[in-house]
Amino acid sequence: MRYCETGPVHLDFHRTLNATIGYLRTQYGYDFLDSVFRRMAHDVYRILHEALQRGDPEELIHHWTYFLDREGGGYELQREEKIIRLTVHRRPAIAYLQSRGLGVDPAFCRQTVVVNNALAEGTPFEIITEVLGEGRCIQTLRRRS
Amino acid sequence: MIPSDHFVRFYNEVFKALEELGHEHLVAYWRELGKLQVQELAARFREGGLPACHEYWQRILEEEGCEGRLTLTDEYFEFRMTRCPSLAKVLDNDAAPCRWYCDHCMGWCEAVMQAAGLHMVLDVESRTEPHCVMRVYRDPTLAEEYERAARLPSHPYA
Repeated sequence: MRYCETGPVHLDFHRTLNATIGYLRTQYGYDFLDSVFRRMAHDVYRILHEALQRGDPEELIHHWTYFLDREGGGYELQREEKIIRLTVHRRPAIAYLQSRGLGVDPAFCRQTVVVNNALAEGTPFEIITEVLGEGRCIQTLRRRS
Repeated sequence: MIPSDHFVRFYNEVFKALEELGHEHLVAYWRELGKLQVQELAARFREGGLPACHEYWQRILEEEGCEGRLTLTDEYFEFRMTRCPSLAKVLDNDAAPCRWYCDHCMGWCEAVMQAAGLHMVLDVESRTEPHCVMRVYRDPTLAEEYERAARLPSHPYA
């Protein structure tokens, strides 16, 4: 894995992430916010994007589960013939913000939606992200028909 | 999903995107983060002084995986960072680093220290190597004196 962090987890970064999303949304709008998420997907996560372009979803699946495990997330991973579905029951970032009594920005989960969409661009896959609220979502990766 | 482990690489992308709009946009963002951190830390530092700074950065050193040494004297608190995990991650990155990356640190700390009645000097030493020295003083004249000897003092709002 390209960025395989180990050691202590600093969940307080989610507080700054939440504030940053709120700041960019209110000062610059959704298009600008999304452009930053897309830079993240295409430049920082270039290895994940390239793996999907090659038809390999495993780098992304490992990325999802590795970092959810590191942060103590609750999830299920289901594999079917042409579909891989990640059902997140407890997203640690949301749980952390709520534990600190902080309001979750309305665009907070947009990071997941836009990064997933951008990762899937130009690849044989699509990633459908259903945000269910309260730190829950379903991310479905499947080959385009 | 952007995990907390990857936040600083996201941060770096935000810096570059704002810098492309004009440096004043990047500086405005740092000011906003400064306000956020003032709410979080200023009262603690104002009441606890240099020992409270030492206590805070002791936790950061452990939790963020920094390598370095903390020193607390009667005159100052010093954090001599031999490996900054934040810049190290930004350099270990398939995306390019923002040339002003190190200044974000002083960007929020300056606001907190001003609100706490303390005076900080950050010598980033190099913008391409992950080490720096931070000192916090109670006495502004001692801070000014220390800054005169700094190799690359950070002044994000200059």
